[in-house]
Amino acid sequence: MSTVDERTPEAEEPENPTNRPAGMHLVSRWMNRPYARRIILLTVIISAVIIALTFVMVAFMNLSGGPASDIQGEIEKTMYVLTFTCAPLMGFTLAIITYSWWGGWGKVKSEEEPTEEGPAIRTNGVAVVAWITVCSLLAAFLVIWGLVELATITASSYGSVAANQQPNSAKAIDINVTGQQWLWSFEYPDQGKITSSELVVPVNVPLYFNVTSLDVIHSFWVVEAGVKIDVNPGAITNTGFTPNKLGTFNIRCAELCGLHHAYMETNLRVVTQEQFESWVREQGGARTS
Amino acid sequence: MSDTAVIYEQKHVPQPRQVGKPGGFLHRTNFVTAVVSGIVLAAIFYFITGAIVQKVTGGGQQNNLSLPDGLQQQITMMYIGWIIGFMAGIGAFAGPIRWMLGHDLTHADAEYMSGKDMGRKKFWKYTTDHKVVGIQYLIVALILFGLGGLLAMLIRTELGVTWAEVFNPNFYNSLIGTHGIVMIIAMIIAVTGPLGNFIVPIMCGARDMAFPRLNALSLWLLVAAIPPLVSNLLMGGIRDGWTVYQPLADQAPVGMIGYQICIIVFAFSTGIASVNLITTVVTMRARGMTWSRVPIFVYGVVGSSIMGLIWFPMFQYSQILALSDRMLQTSFYTPASGGSVWLYENLFWLLGHPEVYVIVIPATAALLEIMPVFLRKPLFSYKLAIAGIFGIVGLSAVVWVHHMYMTGWAPSSNYPFMMSTEMISIPFSFLLLVMLGTMWRGKPWMKLPMMAVYAVIWNKVIGGITGVYLSDTPVDQYMHGSMFVVAHFHFMLMGAGLFGAMGAIAYWFPKMTNRYLDELIGAIGFWTAFVGFQVTFFAMFVAGLQGMPRRVLQFDQAFNIANWISTIGAYVIGIGMLIFLYAMITSWRSGKLAPGNPWGAHTLEAQTETPVPHENFPVLPVVTSDPYGFGVPDPYELLDSAELQAKEGVSKVGAS
Ligand code: HEM
Ligand SMILES: [Cu+2]
Ligand SMILES: [Cu+2]
Repeated sequence: MSTVDERTPEAEEPENPTNRPAGMHLVSRWMNRPYARRIILLTVIISAVIIALTFVMVAFMNLSGGPASDIQGEIEKTMYVLTFTCAPLMGFTLAIITYSWWGGWGKVKSEEEPTEEGPAIRTNGVAVVAWITVCSLLAAFLVIWGLVELATITASSYGSVAANQQPNSAKAIDINVTGQQWLWSFEYPDQGKITSSELVVPVNVPLYFNVTSLDVIHSFWVVEAGVKIDVNPGAITNTGFTPNKLGTFNIRCAELCGLHHAYMETNLRVVTQEQFESWVREQGGARTS
Repeated sequence: MSDTAVIYEQKHVPQPRQVGKPGGFLHRTNFVTAVVSGIVLAAIFYFITGAIVQKVTGGGQQNNLSLPDGLQQQITMMYIGWIIGFMAGIGAFAGPIRWMLGHDLTHADAEYMSGKDMGRKKFWKYTTDHKVVGIQYLIVALILFGLGGLLAMLIRTELGVTWAEVFNPNFYNSLIGTHGIVMIIAMIIAVTGPLGNFIVPIMCGARDMAFPRLNALSLWLLVAAIPPLVSNLLMGGIRDGWTVYQPLADQAPVGMIGYQICIIVFAFSTGIASVNLITTVVTMRARGMTWSRVPIFVYGVVGSSIMGLIWFPMFQYSQILALSDRMLQTSFYTPASGGSVWLYENLFWLLGHPEVYVIVIPATAALLEIMPVFLRKPLFSYKLAIAGIFGIVGLSAVVWVHHMYMTGWAPSSNYPFMMSTEMISIPFSFLLLVMLGTMWRGKPWMKLPMMAVYAVIWNKVIGGITGVYLSDTPVDQYMHGSMFVVAHFHFMLMGAGLFGAMGAIAYWFPKMTNRYLDELIGAIGFWTAFVGFQVTFFAMFVAGLQGMPRRVLQFDQAFNIANWISTIGAYVIGIGMLIFLYAMITSWRSGKLAPGNPWGAHTLEAQTETPVPHENFPVLPVVTSDPYGFGVPDPYELLDSAELQAKEGVSKVGAS
C-alpha cells in the first residue's frame, strides 16, 4: 500500500518488472486496484475546493474595506498558507468518507444484515509510518511558519521583541487607549493630551498604543487592521500598527463587558498627515510632531 | 499467633450482623424526600444567616452592588443548605452514619442498595447498581440538553431579529452564559455518564463499578448541583458568558453564586466519578483482559477521566477564590488590591482546554468501537489509537494559554503555546488514521451508529482546520473573540461531541433499554439536525470572518444576512433534535425488542444477555483476545502472494 503522493505517471505504462525497482512495481500494482485512482481523483478535487474556499474566506474578511495594515496582510497570507498545508490531508480524509459512504467498497443496506466480513487488515507498517511522518512534517511546518509570522507581526506592532515593549520607531505616535463600560477614549499625549472618542490617525505613520481599562476586561479590536489586545484593569498592555490605507474602519470591543458590550464600538479614521494636523488643532491640541 | 487475623475456610467467614431491615433508613428516602429536605434546609439556612447578618450589621447598609447587605451571604448559605439537605434527603449520609453506629454493611444491605427486585422505583433512589446509575445519567443529560437547547433557540431568536432587542441585554447575557455552561456540563456527562457507567463495567467483565456507593454519590451530587445553576436566571442572571471572567463576574447579582456553587459541587461529582471509572478499569477487568485486549472505548473513558481528575480542581479552585472575593472581600482577582484578572483566566483555562478533550475523546473512542462492528473489519492499528488518546491526554496539559493569546498577559508565552497547540494535531492525526484505516476497503452497514461516524469525521475536519487557524497566534489576533471562534468550538463540541454521543447512544440503546432505537425516525432526526447544524455554523463562520464579535445582541447591518441564515439553521437543528428525542422515547417504550448482541460485536457487553442480568454475568467471562477479530484474509494479499509464487515458478522454469 502506498500514500497518495507516491503516484507516478509511469504507473500507467504497461508493466515491465525486469528493469524497474521492486517498490515501483508495488506502487503500480496498487494503482491498478479499482479504487486507487478514484480516491486520488476525489482527493484532488476536494482539496481544490478547500483551497478555493480560502479565497472566499479572505474575501469575507475584506468586505468592510481591509486590509488596512501590514499586519492584516500577514494574517491573510497566513490563512492561505495554513489552508494549503492542510488541504491535501483534509481532502484525503473527506475523499475516503465520501467514497465509503457512496458505496465504492460496497455497502450493506440498513434493513439487511452483513453476511460477509471485510479484509482482516490489522495494521500496515508502511501506511502508519508514512502517515506519521507526513503529519509531523506538516505540523512542524505550521509551527515554524507560525513562529516566524508571529515574530513578524510583533515587530510591526511594537519593535522586534515583544518583551521589551518599545515602540517600533521614534517617530511613532503614542496613543493611550482607555476602555470603560461602555465606551472608548483615545488620548494623544504628544499632541497636547487631546482626547477623542474616535481614533483619528495619519496614514503610514506607526502607532503605538498603551491600553488599559477603568473597570472590567474589554478587548480593543481594530478589525480591518488585524489588531487586537485585551484591555485589562490594573495593567497596561501594548500593541501597535501602521495604517496603510485611507478610510474609515471599525473598532469593536471583543470581550464581553456587561450590559452594553454590543454597542461598545467606534471608528478608526485614517486621514492624511495634513488632515490629521488640522484635526489636532481643531481639538485644541498643541504640537503634532 | 496473634488474634487479629484468623484464617478461616471460606465457608466459615463470619458475616456482619444485620441490624434492622436491609437498607435501613434508605427505605424512606427518594428523590421527593431529597427535594423536600433540600428546600427545608435551604430555607432554614437562609433565615438563620439573615438573622445573624442583621445582628452583626444592624441592618440597613448597602454595598457597592446596591444589594441589601447580607443578601449574598444569605444566598450562599441557602445554596449550601440546599446541597446538604438534598444529599441528606436522598440518603447519601445513611451509609456512613449506620457504619459509625456500628452497623456494618451486610450483603442484604448491599443488595437492597443496588436496587434488586425494586422495579422502577430504583431510578428515583440512591441506587448503587451501575446500570441504574447509567440510565439516571442519561436522563439528566437529556434534561440538560433540553434546557440548553431551549436557551440556544432564544439566543438565536434574538440574533435573528436584527431590527430590535428582543430581550433585555442583561437577560441576554445571562442566556448565553447559562446556555454555555449547561451545555458544557451536559456534554461532559453525555458519554462517560450513561455509557461509562452502564457499558464500561460490562465491557470489562465486572459485576459492578469498583465503588458502587461512590457511583451513586457522583450522580446525586450532579443532580444537586444543577438547580443552583439554573436558578441564576431568576436571581439576576450570570451576565458574563460561560467563562465568567473577573472582575465582570464580581459585578453580577447573586445569580453568580449559583454558578459558583454548582461548579464547586460538580467538580466533586466529576472527581468521584473519574476515580471510580479509573479504578474499575484498572482493577476489575475480566481474567485474560490484558492491556492489549481492552476495548478502545474503555481507553477513551479512562483518558477522559484522567483529564477530569487532574484538571477539574483548577476550575473548582477558580470559583472558590471568586466566591471568596465576593463574600469575604478577599482580593485574588481585584487589581486595585493586588489581585490579578489573569490569575482567573489561567485557572479557568487550565481546565477549560483539557475539558474539550474530556468531551471529545470518549465520543471519538465510542465511534472507534462502533466502526469495526459496522464494517466487519478489525480496528486499524489499535495501538496507534491508544497512543493517540494518551498523546492528547498528555499534551492537553500544556496548551491552555492559546485561549489567552490576546490577553496581553505574557506575549512571549504565545510562542511556546502556539507550538504545543499545533503539536496536539499529531496525536489527533493518529486517531484520524485509525478511523480512515478501519474504513478503508470496508463494506459499511448503513445503520444509524455508522451514519454518526461519517457525520463526525466531516465535522471534525471542519473543526480541525479552523482550530489550526485559531492556534496560529497571528490569525487568532483577528479571530479571537469573534463568532468564528464560536463556530469552531461548536463544530468540535456539538459536531464531534454531541453527534458522536448520539451515534454511541444509538449503538448501545438496545443494551440499555432492551429495544432498538427506531432506525428510520432516528435517522430522520439525526440528519435534519446535521443539516441544520451545517447551515447554522457555516453562516456563523461567515459572520465571524466579517468581523462580528461574539456575545453581542445587536450588531452592524453587514452581519444581518449571515445571522438570519444561522437562525433558520438553528430552528432546523431544534426540529431535528426533537425528532430524535421522539424516536428515543417511543423506542424506549415500545420499540422492537433486541437480542443480546444486536450488531454482532465481539465486546463483552454484547456477550451477556439483554436485559442485562442483575450482576451482569451469570459466570464471569474469561477473555482470550481483543474484540476486533473481524475479517477474512485480505484477498489482495492472497492475490499478490499467489502471483509472486507463480512468477517465481515461471522464472525458475525459465532458468532451468
Ligand atoms: C486540532 C485541534 C484544535 C485546535 C488546534 C484548537 C484551537 C483552538 C484555539 C486556539 C482556541 C482559542 C481561540 C480564541 O479564543 O481566540 C480554541 C477555542 C476553543 N476550542 Fe478549540 N481547538 C482544537 C480542538 C478543539 C476541540 C476538540 C474542542 C472541543 C471539543 C475545542 C473547543 C474549543 C472551545 C470551547 C473554544 C472556545 C472557548 C471560548 O473562548 O469560550 N477545540 N480552539
Ligand atoms: Cu465589551
Ligand atoms: Cu483550547
